[in-house]
Amino acid sequence: MEKLILQLKQEIIKVLNLEEVAPADIADDAPLFGEGLGLDSIDALELIVLMEKIYGIKLKDPAQGREIFKSIRVMAEYIHANRAK
Amino acid sequence: MPKEIFVTGCGIVSALGAGKEATLTALRERRTGIAPVRYLKTAHTELPVGEVKMSNEEMMRALRIPEAAATTRTSLMGMLAAREALDHAQLRNKSGLRTALISGTTVGGMDKSEQYYLDFLENDTKNAYIATHDCGACTEMIADYFGVFSAVQTISTACSSAANAIMLGAMLIDSGRADAVVAGGCECITKFHLNGFNTLMILDRNLCKPFDAHRAGLNLGEGAAFLVLEAEDTLRRRSAAPLCRLAGYANTCDAYHQTASSPNGEGACLAMQAALRTANLRPKDVGYINAHGTGTENNDLCEGRAIQRAFGRCIPPVSSTKSFTGHTTSAAGGVEAVISLLALRHGFIPASLNFANPMPELAFTPATTDQPPTPLRHVLSNSFGFGGNETSLIFSTI
Amino acid sequence: MSTPNGIYLLAAKQISVQPPLTDEWMDAPIRYREPYVQAIDPDYKRYFAPNVARRLGKILKRAMLTARLVREASGVDNPDAIITGTGLGCIESTEAFLNALARGGEELLTPTHFMQSTHNTISSLIAIDAGCKGYNSTYAHKGISLECALADAFTQLECSRIQTALVGAHDEMTPTYFTLLKRTGYLGHAPGGFSGEVALSMMLAATRSKNALCRLRGVEMAYGPANSDAPRQALTRLLQRARCSPNEIDAVMTGLSGLPANDQVYARICPELLPNKNLLRYKHLFGEAYTAPGLGMYAAAVCLYRQRIPAHLFVDHKRGEQRGVGHILCYNQLEEKNHAFILLSPCGK
Repeated sequence: MEKLILQLKQEIIKVLNLEEVAPADIADDAPLFGEGLGLDSIDALELIVLMEKIYGIKLKDPAQGREIFKSIRVMAEYIHANRAK
Repeated sequence: MPKEIFVTGCGIVSALGAGKEATLTALRERRTGIAPVRYLKTAHTELPVGEVKMSNEEMMRALRIPEAAATTRTSLMGMLAAREALDHAQLRNKSGLRTALISGTTVGGMDKSEQYYLDFLENDTKNAYIATHDCGACTEMIADYFGVFSAVQTISTACSSAANAIMLGAMLIDSGRADAVVAGGCECITKFHLNGFNTLMILDRNLCKPFDAHRAGLNLGEGAAFLVLEAEDTLRRRSAAPLCRLAGYANTCDAYHQTASSPNGEGACLAMQAALRTANLRPKDVGYINAHGTGTENNDLCEGRAIQRAFGRCIPPVSSTKSFTGHTTSAAGGVEAVISLLALRHGFIPASLNFANPMPELAFTPATTDQPPTPLRHVLSNSFGFGGNETSLIFSTI
Repeated sequence: MSTPNGIYLLAAKQISVQPPLTDEWMDAPIRYREPYVQAIDPDYKRYFAPNVARRLGKILKRAMLTARLVREASGVDNPDAIITGTGLGCIESTEAFLNALARGGEELLTPTHFMQSTHNTISSLIAIDAGCKGYNSTYAHKGISLECALADAFTQLECSRIQTALVGAHDEMTPTYFTLLKRTGYLGHAPGGFSGEVALSMMLAATRSKNALCRLRGVEMAYGPANSDAPRQALTRLLQRARCSPNEIDAVMTGLSGLPANDQVYARICPELLPNKNLLRYKHLFGEAYTAPGLGMYAAAVCLYRQRIPAHLFVDHKRGEQRGVGHILCYNQLEEKNHAFILLSPCGK
């Protein structure tokens, strides 16, 4: 799980072009949206594609993302339970 | 005092067919033009679309353009619609008037660019289509087909492009910079923006349901439509008969987000209010609103709230004809201007199709009957684009 | 509504192949020999928080920064209108999405490049950044994109529909698109001019400020493939509306670029239309781009403000620097189809 969390942080930093953010700056349980990292609805769509590209998980409804993208830990747990690759 | 702007001709091509007659018949018979993909070569066959039911070759034959010519679907549709509009206004021949063409488009020649992109990069075989890629090239192909325009401009404000072209046409006439203006827009469906909208997850896999509580996105459409605008002195000089007036127009910016509307529809509300002001009308004077009504969760909620704020207790029948044509993006302002004009001329309210469940957030539901409660005198048409480019037009009887 | 006493260019900020955000090109221009040159970007980290700019492509960063700085320099924080001219729009993002589509197919595409590919992203981003809910529009018409935007602003200022307008000229050029446009003949092979990039924000107003650069007297365009007299008609209209006699034109800022197919048109039209006028040029400094005429206008405005034309702007190399400048007419054409004229005067005239 720790390995997955680190990998996920690195991917998110790359895909969302979070210059000047290091994996250590993202707390595992901090909210990704709103306060915390300050991501928005477009980032959520980027994360949906990231999930499909890297882990083979396909979300049909962007509303699902709201639950899954709560924090890095929640996201990692969801990936761990549902990954296809 | 701004000059009165008259509409003396119009032309339209959309999923409902080519021409005003076909459009009117489909609207009155409540026959949607949205159907499974037939012409676009896409993997997304699950998405219903509002395609113009003609191949490029058929359009070229209808326009008597040689087969070998480098053309794009956007400009071919534009030529068909502009031809109808010019014929309608009897302006096909050199008239001595300073006539401008203002067209709105965003994808321009992207249909060919996406088809030949790898050829562009890797060999020299499709170079003619590099030059047809940009928006301006698309407008110039239309202009050159007719050879009657002394000024040509292209507006690109995404889904409000054609509405802004019509507004600019009015301003050019008002300031004496043109005698007559052919204004509107054209846009074909491309894989580029079909996939773009798909990445935003705002495409409905079924027929779109504007202003329905269970709406699930838009259906992409394509088309072209142009109006001919003239001032009164030009009209008199050539004894032309006006169809209606362009009584009000306004352009505002939501200044909120690059793709989403503000929750209370600030920019949209400001556009409708400003259009009413320029037309010197009160909310109760408007007999019908042709909404932007894309069928996305965000647009219909924000536009609905904006309508409620702008019209208060006097909300007239509202409908979204995108349930017939699909969202014709840059052409939408033109397509819906022609539909508004048909509603005004024939005294009916184009229905909103596929509506079943009222939105709990709104006090009104879209029109499902085509009988206006009182004779139509003024129709307001909304066109909103990405980035909050909001434009409202008001058409009035003579 | 009353007619204003004049339309003024209050301030202008540019990012181009010359040093950004300054007028250094007047005295120490950088000369280029290569056919493809990208703009010199300032250090955006000095201006934007990382979270603000992380999703923005180059053209958007340049537009947002020049717009911010021109609002600051002009003291007009909230202009009544934001109007942009861009020939190709956000071509870098467009290309990124197109490339992903052509090579990767229709699955696993992401939204960011798509939402930034539309031309109006520039005007709307500036509006979001500045909180401007007024008129907002974008013109995308090849070589006259900037002039269309300028004419829109001018017309609305003239009839007092608006009091201030932020007008921009923005075009970026990617290595790939440069290669493609070379094949169409629009961009040249060296020697023969070079391809540049343009980010220009200008603040126009219906009232003069102390530091205004110049007066904008008018803008006229003509479409002339079928009418060889179109440029003359447009120029006549412009001068009549501005009540300016051709004798009063001090110099003509032309779009001569070094590319023979382009320059031949000027060589034919200028002596006919504007006999015995001093011809100036700007593309030898800024390069070719659809909205490069914006930089020509800006260069002319700086000359008017400083009341001198440096020697290197004159087509006739033997002329030295000129002190004291009256009216400058900007004339640009593309492929002899589109012609555009802009008339500028010193603030006092």
